[in-house]
Amino acid sequence: MLERILINGLVISGTYAVLAVGFSLIFGVAKIFNMAHTVLYMAASYIIFFSLNSLGIHYVFASALAILLTIIFGILCYKFLFDRVKVHETAVMIISISVAIICQELVLMTLDGSYRGVPSFIVGSKELMGVSVLYQHMFVVLGCIITLIGLWILLTKTFLGKAIRAVAQDQEIANLMGIDVSRVCLIAMGISAGLAAIAAVLSAPLEPLYPAMWLQPLILILAAVVLGGLGSIKGSVYGALILGFTETIVITVIPGGSFLRGAVSLLAMVIVLIFRPEGLFGVVFEEETL
Amino acid sequence: MYLAINDLTVLYDRAMVLNGVSLNVAEGELVSLVGPNGAGKSTLLRAAAGLVSWEKETLKGTTSGKITLTGSVIFEGNEMLDLPAHKIAQRGLILCPERGRPFREMTVMENLEAGAYLLKKDGKAAINEALDKVFSLFPVLKNRRNQVSGTLSGGERTMLSIARSLMSKAKLLLIDEPSVGLAPMVKKELFARISEVHGLGITILLIEQDISFAFELASRNYVLSRGKIIAEGKSEELLNDEIIRETYLGM
Repeated sequence: MLERILINGLVISGTYAVLAVGFSLIFGVAKIFNMAHTVLYMAASYIIFFSLNSLGIHYVFASALAILLTIIFGILCYKFLFDRVKVHETAVMIISISVAIICQELVLMTLDGSYRGVPSFIVGSKELMGVSVLYQHMFVVLGCIITLIGLWILLTKTFLGKAIRAVAQDQEIANLMGIDVSRVCLIAMGISAGLAAIAAVLSAPLEPLYPAMWLQPLILILAAVVLGGLGSIKGSVYGALILGFTETIVITVIPGGSFLRGAVSLLAMVIVLIFRPEGLFGVVFEEETL
Repeated sequence: MYLAINDLTVLYDRAMVLNGVSLNVAEGELVSLVGPNGAGKSTLLRAAAGLVSWEKETLKGTTSGKITLTGSVIFEGNEMLDLPAHKIAQRGLILCPERGRPFREMTVMENLEAGAYLLKKDGKAAINEALDKVFSLFPVLKNRRNQVSGTLSGGERTMLSIARSLMSKAKLLLIDEPSVGLAPMVKKELFARISEVHGLGITILLIEQDISFAFELASRNYVLSRGKIIAEGKSEELLNDEIIRETYLGM
């Protein structure tokens, strides 16, 4: 049972982590609390679905197309909506949630409310630690790990990454280094949307597609991000791991208890927040001292 | 003139922070700007570095007050007030803000690398050269290069801020109150470093509360009070002027 929990936990947390990190990135850099983040994930999933079924292209091209179009969609949302109102944090939240609901209605209008699925493009499984593991699951875990490591390298080793972190910490001072802050914010939005699309590429064959599929992951990544500490990318990964594993343990340990998974995960978040209101890795803003 | 600020006026809502300030700095000069708290010294530097325009742009659409900025800041013959802040930095006019304001969650090394952002096209060699330069000026930063900058002492933060500005091709540094809150020994050390930076051929406009230090370093000084330049001159001239000494310098 432990092996099962380990593997399923990694699969679920991996997708949450990639989603949560993207959410954290754009919040940290541009202070955009993007409630439409998982709509980008939904958009990418549907693009993959249509590329496979209507265009009949290979999964790899479908994925590339999904990532590209999602990035464009994200950047357009940023440029024409979020950026215009970003001084008002509540306005950003309301606008982004409106975008989410409009997208949901659009999907419902153009298609219908029915569940759709994307076929797994690598079929089969392998014995691992005595449990048979789907290749698709290995693909998700590996893909998430590579994505997160890639993001870490980008943020710590490249000029762009250092500029992104500089903007996240102090926009005003970043200007003085010659960094074009609005351009960096736009790039961060692109990366954030790209991460949401990657999460979709990895997990589309595992999750059913339906118009409200953005809501449940949104709530969970919000919980993961708050749990890890708002704005901390490292914290978001830990938050996602904690929630992903809590969820898996509940599903595995309580027979027929899968309906409890959301509740228990959110309870875990509430308990952490009672003892550490700033989250696990949140920054406690110290008083400015001389 | 290398840097010529003409008739610079800044209003926050209806409060006039700068009222038609004009000053100039020649290439290679070290000029100080002194004056009591609230005289508008920081605002002057922030306006020249483009941060007042930046603030104006960011606050657009909020209920915070309206910022008005008029006049001109000419650097190397070009108007700076029309440029966004990051373009001003690209020209080599760089502000070292009060208290240094390092990127606190980044290490000393990462702060310096962020400062070298403008060298990104010049390759690794250019960056290493810049690093050698700042490490020889500020050896303490070399020892602390892997330390998170939020844990540095006040003096080290200021040094990091100056070092970070020097990583790009800084020609003119605007240094805002470097010695504020520092112990006398640290202050002395810091001013020796600023003097060395000046020795490298970098033009400096320095704001300072500690007038004895500022006047010792600077070849010329301006005295700012209530948003206006009320005196200008060499250090000994200003110190010999009874009225200025007592009224504005409090000495």
